[in-house]
Amino acid sequence: MSPNDLSLSAPRRDLRLLFGVALAAAACLAPLFLGTYALHAIIIALIFLLPAHGLNLLVGYTGLLSLAQAAFFGIGAYTSGLMAVHFGTPFYLNFLAAGLLAGAVALPLGIPALRLRATSFVMCTLGFVVIGQAIAKNWIGLTRGDMGLSGIPKPYFALGPASFTISGTTSFYYMVLVIAVIGTLAAYLIVRSAAGRNMVAIRENETLAESVGIPTWRYKLVVFMISAAFAGLGGSIYAHYLTVVSPLTFQMYYSTTMLIIVLGGGAGTISGVVFGSLLFVGLSEALRVAPEVRMIAYGLSLLALVFWFPKGFAPLIDRFWLFLGERK
Amino acid sequence: MTGLPILEISGLHKSYGAVRAVDDVSLHVNRGEICGLIGPNGSGKSTFFDCASGLTRPHAGTVKLDGQDITGWSLNRIAREGRMLRSFQKTVVFGALDVEENLVIAGQMFTFPGLWSTFGIGAMARARVEALRERAREFIKIAGLWDVRHQPAGKLSGGQQKLIQFASMLMPEPKLILLDEPMAGINPKLIERVVESIRFANTKFGVSFLVIEHNIDVVTDICERIVVLDQGRKLAEGTPDEIVRNQAVREAYLGG
Amino acid sequence: MLSAILEQIVNGIVSGSVYAIVAVGMTMIFGVLRAINFAHGEYYMLGTFGAWFAIEYFDLPYPVAIAIGVIATAVIAVVVGKFVMQRIVGAPPETGVLATLGIALVLQNTVILVFGGGYKFFSGGYIEPVSIFGFTLAEQRVLIIIVCILVFVGLELMVTYSRMGKAMRAVSQNIECCAVVGIDVPQVALRTFILGACLAALSGVLTAPVNVSVYGGMGEIITFKTLPVIIMGGLGNVRGTFFAAMILGIAESLVATYVGLQFRDTVGFATLLLVLMWRPHGLFSAQARF
Repeated sequence: MSPNDLSLSAPRRDLRLLFGVALAAAACLAPLFLGTYALHAIIIALIFLLPAHGLNLLVGYTGLLSLAQAAFFGIGAYTSGLMAVHFGTPFYLNFLAAGLLAGAVALPLGIPALRLRATSFVMCTLGFVVIGQAIAKNWIGLTRGDMGLSGIPKPYFALGPASFTISGTTSFYYMVLVIAVIGTLAAYLIVRSAAGRNMVAIRENETLAESVGIPTWRYKLVVFMISAAFAGLGGSIYAHYLTVVSPLTFQMYYSTTMLIIVLGGGAGTISGVVFGSLLFVGLSEALRVAPEVRMIAYGLSLLALVFWFPKGFAPLIDRFWLFLGERK
Repeated sequence: MTGLPILEISGLHKSYGAVRAVDDVSLHVNRGEICGLIGPNGSGKSTFFDCASGLTRPHAGTVKLDGQDITGWSLNRIAREGRMLRSFQKTVVFGALDVEENLVIAGQMFTFPGLWSTFGIGAMARARVEALRERAREFIKIAGLWDVRHQPAGKLSGGQQKLIQFASMLMPEPKLILLDEPMAGINPKLIERVVESIRFANTKFGVSFLVIEHNIDVVTDICERIVVLDQGRKLAEGTPDEIVRNQAVREAYLGG
Repeated sequence: MLSAILEQIVNGIVSGSVYAIVAVGMTMIFGVLRAINFAHGEYYMLGTFGAWFAIEYFDLPYPVAIAIGVIATAVIAVVVGKFVMQRIVGAPPETGVLATLGIALVLQNTVILVFGGGYKFFSGGYIEPVSIFGFTLAEQRVLIIIVCILVFVGLELMVTYSRMGKAMRAVSQNIECCAVVGIDVPQVALRTFILGACLAALSGVLTAPVNVSVYGGMGEIITFKTLPVIIMGGLGNVRGTFFAAMILGIAESLVATYVGLQFRDTVGFATLLLVLMWRPHGLFSAQARF
């Protein structure tokens, strides 16, 4: 036996499990070694993760570009805020109501919108955001207009006789972390299902998908609603975190941010969206740069993504994952 | 070849503006038959297919599949409920997905009872997909695509993509397949292969075929009956021998 | 009562003229590049800022400032056109949406970063009132209407008779054939884009004396109002865009007066959504190119 044979027979350890455990540990222990501001940045990143997953299902998997996420985000935020302020309901009720209402509103909006060609559809989704803001500003009886809702109570949970309130940043972080993990898992399961495969088929070639029996229009509508629900859920957490909701929640800025997360992280992949959220939102929050600088960075990122990195960070993430699995 | 025809089309009309692409065409395909549809370019064959398969709506006429009136049904409904599938002239596949995924998708809507069931994550859903995968692998082996089965379909050659397309149409156990110029762009050496596949599907799975084709040798070889279209109207109908000897057909299409 | 309504309609025609000049540029850009220019309003803003800067820092007279505003925008448009817009030709529609969104973010925020986010006061312009057909209007408003008419007549002539105009029509109708026939498509695309951006800038400079306040974020609202106009006018349809712009201007004016000022800015998108739901292909034919 030559010396080379020894290297061939050495065991190959799969580092992926180790990486996963390390990541989970880091996530759980983050509040111990991160300052409040950094923690805040991660919380924002995790809040945006849910709407981003929704947008990913729409853009990355089904191939439908939409700017409407901000509209459903806003609907979720207002729903949750209004319920908390007027009814004092526990958080999980507000949370679910936000998601359900956002998803429900997406139905009558999606039906006519999805008949449109790609360009008009994008315009229409932008219109939802603009009209949403107008409604929030002018339906003063419900939304208090430009003054917005303030003093949204901290999220509290009531289970039978016991109840507890999420009061500090640390506990909020853990709450959002749990929700984000569940949300990511849900997105993953959808993507791995037969429906997820059908969505990709629609993206790749809609007519061919139709010809093998896939009801493409109905799928698009369903995905539009699911995407809206995800956005609404994100909005709910946002409302409780900021404790304020205003018509400014209906802004292109949110749709654009979610687009950058999805496209930058890697449209059509789940890990890419998670990475994108932490990178674009978490990083830009943590860097405390002037909002204008952040927006310029967003703009340049969009240009870079469109022309040079159409798959975002996804190829890098894939290579990293393969690298972990192959090492001995 | 007894009983109701598997496909019965009467009085089909489709105009584009002033142009009558399909003008009062009626034809039928018998159960288990391979029927040919020929005619010069612009005679309305593709438009006829588009109307029959649900890609476009005809202005008039009825389409009956296995006794059921499917006039006006959408493309996906005819495929899913009617089990009549069609190919496209330009070979298309789901480019970013591998061969096995292409075939699994082709079969999904036929095993899953409805849209919502496709979101299922339970054992039932997994079992359905597993059954589809097995069936897909069978076809992959028969088609000789085993070695490339994990490659993205978009990266394969035209001939391989055609095989994928053909296998896709067999995944759902269809009653009838509309083939739109299956020999177009095929290397002459592979023509025999495609002919064999059609015969195989016809005899082993009992699939009926309606084939648009320009290659007359192939048409007369595999088709039991031929319908000739010219300028949107049916010119003639009969066995290959009858058609080849038909004077009007020769003038319009076969070149005397 | 009637004269009050007529007065609002005249106001509407003024704003309609503003929208028309901006929108025609955006619709031509769409016709040639097949891209919705989400950054279009930013060129309106840049023109305004250029003129404001000339007046504030160099004390130049208003007519000179107009030229400076347009030229400054043209320079920026050349850079953006060469590096970004030309690459959009032939790309899928998502490319145009995302790229122009990116440009909008960069332009808008660079201006805010450099000049600060506050409102600036635009001094200059012909704000003396003048009486025409019994209506009293600021001279500037009359100027806007006149320029609008000149622009559209000029465009009509250019598109019908000039070589550039014919090339633009050709590219918007059948881009594949153009390269074969020897038309330099990227060059046509670049020139159309610069023309469109300059028109937007011109509109901005002309409107500045009327709106008086200048700020970095003013372009976004213009983009949001122009989008419905070009869709309802028919993408690429110059004449349809003119009418759609006028209708929007008048509708906004009437809504502001008789329904409520707070609803004025929503009229555009609200109408667009209604139209899209009811007639998915727009009000005017999108087939009629220019």
